[in-house]
Amino acid sequence: MVENWRLLDTGLHDAFYNMALDEAIVLARSRNLVPNTIRFFRWEPSAVSIGYFQSMEEEVDTVTCDKKGIDYVRRRTGGGAVYHDRDGELTYSIIMNQDHRLISLDFQETYETLCLGLVLGLRRLGVKAEFKPINDIIAEDKKISGNAQTRGMNVVHQHGTILLKVDPSLMFTVLKVPNEKIRDKMVKTVEERVTSLERVLKRDVGFDELKESLIKGFEEAFDIKLVNGTITNFEEQNASRLIIEKYATKEWNFKR
Amino acid sequence: MEKKSRMNKAQLKVQGGKFIKVQLETEDDKIKKVKITGDFFLHPEEIIDDIETSVTGVLLDETVIADRIRKFILKNKAVLLGASPEDFAKCIVMAGAGNG
Repeated sequence: MVENWRLLDTGLHDAFYNMALDEAIVLARSRNLVPNTIRFFRWEPSAVSIGYFQSMEEEVDTVTCDKKGIDYVRRRTGGGAVYHDRDGELTYSIIMNQDHRLISLDFQETYETLCLGLVLGLRRLGVKAEFKPINDIIAEDKKISGNAQTRGMNVVHQHGTILLKVDPSLMFTVLKVPNEKIRDKMVKTVEERVTSLERVLKRDVGFDELKESLIKGFEEAFDIKLVNGTITNFEEQNASRLIIEKYATKEWNFKR
Repeated sequence: MEKKSRMNKAQLKVQGGKFIKVQLETEDDKIKKVKITGDFFLHPEEIIDDIETSVTGVLLDETVIADRIRKFILKNKAVLLGASPEDFAKCIVMAGAGNG
């Protein structure tokens, strides 16, 4: 019998809610209150997220962010700083039990297994996507998706982004550069190393089209059926609590 | 005798891996306080604070520091991805030498 997973599409939210809801789903999954879940979401306003081990002061130009109304938040996962453009990227989360057949003790192996859902989804769109260790998906040798994973409470949580459009110069107005002289060089480096669906396919790809392809990619890669679901009260309440207690606090966002 | 106190920074790009940044406070060539930041992965995440504490008071010697971190990670069954204990140690010593 095919395994049913819950599909959530939570649309546009701010950075604090987005990160809090991910953790709330992890909590709900750990208590067996919800099935394994794949969530799609976007960011309004656009936001920067940094990895668990990064320093907010060193990575993010918070003054510029404040001026432009861009949120900044620390993730519960490691990895690098990401600019989440409202209209240029889709974010997903996978939240599942750790003793699932797809999960290996080896993190690298699990990244590859879970990223296969994205790879197959992107290939359906005509993108020659490939997984690239440690945690990237590339197309035409350039990064099109970054992913980050963590574990705890017998739950595996992986989230990541898929770029629909990319604007490296905007990216470096919110991310800090070591000095002004090398800003142009860094913008150029990103142009050389990062790509988007628009660049690869030479056409606009809409969010709905991308989500439909990714759903099929996940179903095929994981041998599951994704069923549209809703957020439980438990998850909403915990998300609200986690915003106040964690993700919207200075203590958390500036802790390193 | 007056103690020699210094505050320094260094960063290191691991080949085929991630970025490590170190903020280091030393006293008489020993680690007084260290903060390791970067885009690596470490599981469980919270253990980074204990890793930093585990090298407090240790002499600024790459082998000694790497050994200390490696053993600490092993003992706690932690997993480091995209960087190694040796990379952490190298970056700490770079900061100590003031050539970040």
